[in-house]
Amino acid sequence: MNTAAAKSTLLKKLEGVRQMPTIPAVLAPLLRYLQQPLESIDVHRVTEMISQDKSLAAQCLQMANSPLFGRWQKVDSLRGAVVGLGFQRVSDIAMSCSVLNLLPHDTGIDPVVFWEHSLGCALVSRHFACKISFPDPGKAYLAGLLHDIGIILNLWVLPKEFCQAFEFAKREGIPLDEAEMQILGFTHCDSGRLLAERWELAPDLIEVVALHDRPAESLNYGGLVGLVELSDTLCRMSGLNHGYVENREVNLLEEAGFSVLAEQCQGLKDLDWARLTFELDSYMDEVHALVHSIYRP
Amino acid sequence: MTAASVQFALALPGPPDPELVRIRDLIYQVAGIFHPDNKLRLLLERCGRRMKELKTQTLREYFECLTIRPNRQAEMIALLNEITIGETCFFRNQPQLDALRQIVIPKVMEAKANLPLRCLRIWSAGCSTGEEPYTLSMVMLEEAQGRLKGWTVEIAATDLNERSLAHAENAVYGNYSTRNLTPLYRQKYFTTVGEQLQVQSAVRRSVSFSRLNLSDDAGMASMASLDIIFCCNVLIYFDLASKKRVIQHFYNKLLPHGHLFLGHSESLYGVSDDFRLVHLPGATAYVKSDRAMTRTTGMTGRQGA
Repeated sequence: MNTAAAKSTLLKKLEGVRQMPTIPAVLAPLLRYLQQPLESIDVHRVTEMISQDKSLAAQCLQMANSPLFGRWQKVDSLRGAVVGLGFQRVSDIAMSCSVLNLLPHDTGIDPVVFWEHSLGCALVSRHFACKISFPDPGKAYLAGLLHDIGIILNLWVLPKEFCQAFEFAKREGIPLDEAEMQILGFTHCDSGRLLAERWELAPDLIEVVALHDRPAESLNYGGLVGLVELSDTLCRMSGLNHGYVENREVNLLEEAGFSVLAEQCQGLKDLDWARLTFELDSYMDEVHALVHSIYRP
Repeated sequence: MTAASVQFALALPGPPDPELVRIRDLIYQVAGIFHPDNKLRLLLERCGRRMKELKTQTLREYFECLTIRPNRQAEMIALLNEITIGETCFFRNQPQLDALRQIVIPKVMEAKANLPLRCLRIWSAGCSTGEEPYTLSMVMLEEAQGRLKGWTVEIAATDLNERSLAHAENAVYGNYSTRNLTPLYRQKYFTTVGEQLQVQSAVRRSVSFSRLNLSDDAGMASMASLDIIFCCNVLIYFDLASKKRVIQHFYNKLLPHGHLFLGHSESLYGVSDDFRLVHLPGATAYVKSDRAMTRTTGMTGRQGA
């Protein structure tokens, strides 16, 4: 099957799917509300919106207590979390909890590894963005978190075929998109684009989801796409991978994302990649613990 | 933070102490070895042991011992010794060894595919009491059953300390050094000698030990045409100028496809542009950078003209 034919098959399949993965109802209005100027945001209103979804509220509280979000003293109320961590972090947390709930169960693949990778990539993208003075670290977090949503769609629509591709990637130690291309004829970036458009994500996030495997093709948001590609690669070469080891050697300076990002970020030129890599170590245990506690409390 | 509160702090999770972060950053700047946030507790323990020895009360005061007091250089070495203590053991860094087997060896074989002599040369620079070169020898013996069949493997192991070298040649080790050995390796490559384990001759055969000071330019002449260099927790003790000189030697001794492995969380940042960091699964290594290769090729061209 050629790529165009495979993509059209995917589209057809999608049309037949009645139930598409959806973001929890509370999230869209919440994120919209948090985009207002800071002075007009009301703490009470934010906690009220999150509290509408009881399980989301509980998970938010659990995440707010993780050192990953900069909190070292116990927070026992949503209001405490919002006051202590600030609106940006709470928005990150609410978004993280929401997407963590999306992966279908009983597909034969452990969803935990995907969310460990996504949450890891979100944290690494934000950290990386701060290091190189990328203008919007909050956006980098969100982009890292959502970059692999195509995997959700693949698991939803083509569970058997996707599992086959995943097992092939694992067995051969190759990147997931290469295996998807061989088995499915398209990648999670292609399907991710469909889901991102359906969810009406912002245009920069759609580009990240659709093009993080080929950042050079990004037309308008190359910097963000490149940043996520590099963070994604760093995670996949570390313990925040997709649950298997990719048997390859990577020179990040030769990755497409590097040249695209370097055009925008002067800070990238002198970056200490070794230190950045060692710093990721400190996320691993926390990410594993947090994702496990949400999935297997 | 006081010495008493160091003990207290070890029991509590909390944001990193800024004084400890300052010491972490100093160690990285001076020695090139990094403690990520999740290893700061370990660093605190190590500083705590030195502070007890010096009867220093606070981390701030200890920072001064490392930076402005007259014996600061000796104190930094004492702290680095605390950091690397217990690091010497067989199979110290498994992801690094896996990457060597799965990725680097196939690359070397590919680069040498058309050469008549099928020989792979590894240098364990600063081999201490021999655990590292013997580990490499065992790994290579395993590989000799598969993809390295028909290849000769030579492992040069050097150290400055003659007592360490004598220990290495004797090849007898206690529980601490052998703690990471799997039952398979223990049974296959070791013989029990009383309470200890001795490395079997098959493993020792491919390793040749010699005394070498990495700062000694003349002594370096004995090394050449290397495929892989391991230099773990050695450069951390060198000042910047000496580090640069040693790295230059490594560069000259490595073949174009060569790989340089350093210790866990050890970096060449700010030391050399001749090598480029590469990521392997769960490990990092250094390869010759394009910039340096171009420079070398250019020089060769001029020399030939």
